[in-house]
Amino acid sequence: MNASYLELQGIRKTFGDTIVLNDVDLTIREGELLTLLGPSGCGKSTLLRCIAGLTELDGGRILLGQKDIANLPPRNREIGMVFQSYALFPNLTVFENIEYGLKMRGVAKKERISRCEELIALVDLGDKRDAYPQNLSGGQQQRVALARSIAVKPKVLLLDEPLSALDAKIRKNLRSEIREIQKRFKMTTVFVTHDQEEALTLSDRICIMNNGQIVQDGTPESLYSTPRTEFVARFMGSYNVLSHMEATRLFGEGIGSAASFALRPESVRLLSVNKSTNEYDEIAAGKRIIEGTIDSVHVLGNVIRYVVETTGVRLTIDILNDGRSLRTDEQRVVRLALDPSQLLQLEKEGA
Amino acid sequence: MKHRTGWILLGLAPFAIMVLAFQVAPILSMLMGSISKPGVPGFTLNHYDKIFHSAYYLQAIKNSLLIAVYSSLIGIIVGLFCAYSITRFTTKIRDRLLMLSNMTSNFAGVPLAFAYIILLGNNGVFTLLFKQWGWDVFADFNLYSWSGLVLIYVYFQVPLALLLLYPSFYGIQEQWKEAAALLGARPWQFWRTVGIPMLTPAIFGTLGILFANAMGAYATAYALVGGNYNLLAIRIGSLVAGDIVNQPEVGSALAVLLALSTLLAVYLNHRMSKRSQQFTASYASGSSSKRIRSRKQQWNATKEEVGT
Amino acid sequence: MNQRKVGWTHRSLMLLLMIYLLLPLLGTFLYAFAKEWQTTVLPESWTLEWIREMFRDARFLDALWTSLYLCLISVALSLAVMLPAVFVITVYFPKWETFMKGLVVLPYAVPGVVAAVGLIRTYSSGFIDITGTAYILIGAYFIVILPYMYQGIRNSLLTVSAVELLNAAELLGASRMRAFVTIILPNIWPGVIISTLLSFSVLFGEFVLTNMLVGGHIQTIQVYLYQRVNESGHLASAIAIAYFVFILIVSTVLMKLGKKFNKVVGR
Repeated sequence: MNASYLELQGIRKTFGDTIVLNDVDLTIREGELLTLLGPSGCGKSTLLRCIAGLTELDGGRILLGQKDIANLPPRNREIGMVFQSYALFPNLTVFENIEYGLKMRGVAKKERISRCEELIALVDLGDKRDAYPQNLSGGQQQRVALARSIAVKPKVLLLDEPLSALDAKIRKNLRSEIREIQKRFKMTTVFVTHDQEEALTLSDRICIMNNGQIVQDGTPESLYSTPRTEFVARFMGSYNVLSHMEATRLFGEGIGSAASFALRPESVRLLSVNKSTNEYDEIAAGKRIIEGTIDSVHVLGNVIRYVVETTGVRLTIDILNDGRSLRTDEQRVVRLALDPSQLLQLEKEGA
Repeated sequence: MKHRTGWILLGLAPFAIMVLAFQVAPILSMLMGSISKPGVPGFTLNHYDKIFHSAYYLQAIKNSLLIAVYSSLIGIIVGLFCAYSITRFTTKIRDRLLMLSNMTSNFAGVPLAFAYIILLGNNGVFTLLFKQWGWDVFADFNLYSWSGLVLIYVYFQVPLALLLLYPSFYGIQEQWKEAAALLGARPWQFWRTVGIPMLTPAIFGTLGILFANAMGAYATAYALVGGNYNLLAIRIGSLVAGDIVNQPEVGSALAVLLALSTLLAVYLNHRMSKRSQQFTASYASGSSSKRIRSRKQQWNATKEEVGT
Repeated sequence: MNQRKVGWTHRSLMLLLMIYLLLPLLGTFLYAFAKEWQTTVLPESWTLEWIREMFRDARFLDALWTSLYLCLISVALSLAVMLPAVFVITVYFPKWETFMKGLVVLPYAVPGVVAAVGLIRTYSSGFIDITGTAYILIGAYFIVILPYMYQGIRNSLLTVSAVELLNAAELLGASRMRAFVTIILPNIWPGVIISTLLSFSVLFGEFVLTNMLVGGHIQTIQVYLYQRVNESGHLASAIAIAYFVFILIVSTVLMKLGKKFNKVVGR
């Protein structure tokens, strides 16, 4: 495998006065599924369109297998893309849509047909091959769009929020289907989304973007367990973000010099006031015990989320809903076990 | 991506040439004509001066303004009631009614004037009929005069007002009426406090279009009264195309004045439709069916405007 | 929308409106088939003579033919010029749209008689003297239908999200020209046909510009009708009705097409 298959160097893009992409560097390995994750307006879609050649760069280079493609028109880049709205051609049938790219590349008819049949079978639309896109459901349209873009065997596949227009259930099914197809063809893929759950389940690697920059990248596990900045901590989950003062109040001195800290909601344990035995175990394990008042309790399904007020700090605490957990009433006093090793120091934004 | 520039220019050039030659150049030429001295170089405001000191031209302007104002006001009042009425019917009947009014709006200009001559002209069917029946109410009525012109102008204003206004009645939601009723408002109070204020921009906007439409109307009046009735549009036509005396410069100046009045009215419409969009923006969710419907309305509207 | 019974006030108001709007049409229609119609509510006797005479009238057929080919040429020219122009503007220069809106609103806002003044001044002397010829009329017609063609083509492009389709086609390896021909054109075609027909019917009813620019030289159906109005009422009625039936057919086709188009794209 090639270590840097697609390489972006110093990509810059401005629209008027606003800087949309600010010196973005990124390398993508062959066969990898990389997700660009960020809030709307962070520049992730623009970056994708730059790779595709649909948006002109103001500066920077795009290397695809050692070749600079930044000045090539989109049709010569060998890049496939699935659009948010699918962009299926309404005047062509499912089969003709999938065939379109092959036709444009002058592939012989016999080969075209066999390739299309293969893809139609792959996305399981055998009975819809002669239907027009308007007569397909959203999920089916999405499959056609996927098949169409991989029919020409592009070197890189770009997916621009492909699941955002679908309802939750279909989204989850299609998500795993896309991942399966991507793995089977070892397709180098860049996936854009604003849904962190989608990013976590789908990706080999995630790049979190904010204000036209990549603020952190890594595997889903590393991003989730060690966010580097407050932005990432807030974006990746319901992290408690604490100021230095708040953190000191909870954990005492000697926690480090960072201005802000993150504490994962599931790292805090709730202890009932009476069971002092297991409290000793916790202290032995190096944890700090603190008293607090329950503010509210929400059952989220397999997790129960408590909001606890303690020493003037509101903490979100997630406890696995295993049926044995204490269903504590609001306004009741509880004791918390805090694990100092789970307290993460956050860097300043933009550092 | 520079290689595309050629294609782009090639695509735009014919369009630019046509617009410059047949839209921009004539307007500029008319403006120039209205301030140029006949035969010699140099600029003058004499033509405008002449117009504003000539009882004849002033009368033409006054007649045109009056007929435009009258026919627009009558048109908008009738149109308002009819537009409200039309929203009370089922969709099927409503569409039929709209189709009929749309159809009659194609019946404008020369054929319309002609139809009125058949019905109400000197030897018109109704004129003779009424005479025979001895109805003198219509004895004073003369189709080829002010009252006849107003009658015909109203005829093409009403369907236009109706088509432009009825969509705004759909902007007034049934739930508002229900909410107002629950809050203790009587129907008339609802209309006074919510309904009419909501409709106001649409009413003024439509009024602008109707006014411009009547000011610029030429064919109907020309076919009916020829050069005999003193209207601005008719005056311009005869000055330029030249029935008796050819005074193209004065014609240009009059044309500039006419264009100013209609441009102003269309601008009023533009401002008003922007405002009424603000009212309804949150409800126009932009679904495709809605978009297509509004496009249809737009077409109807544009068709109306040019049709007369 | 509402299933409740419609009150009699609304019913009678609509009835009155329809009578008012349809009466002139009906009058013309009856007159075209009437042999004897004086002092009675309905004609006393009927005849097809006027219709027959109309079709025997060489000048009528000439005028009809002139109208048809002038309108066809103008619409075809407009199509050839506007399609690429609107495409380029919508796809490459969406920022110009405000300017374009202003430009295409001018033909509405400037009355025909004013446009005629400018056109006559520009083209009646100097080195392009084309007043009284078909050229000036075709140019004027181009401007008259500019709003319809622009709106129609632009809306069609937006409805099918042309830019996105174009991007998709290009990423699949199609050149711009090929993408335009294989994807954009087939998809906007129904919408374009509608605006073409609409433009055609507008031009067919055009009188002011025709009469002022070329009235003495070229006779369209409208100019001809105007000249016959004072000669024979019955014959003129027949012509007016023929004209109206033609317009009716065009608008019916238009509506059918419109509905079909909405069904295809309106999902």
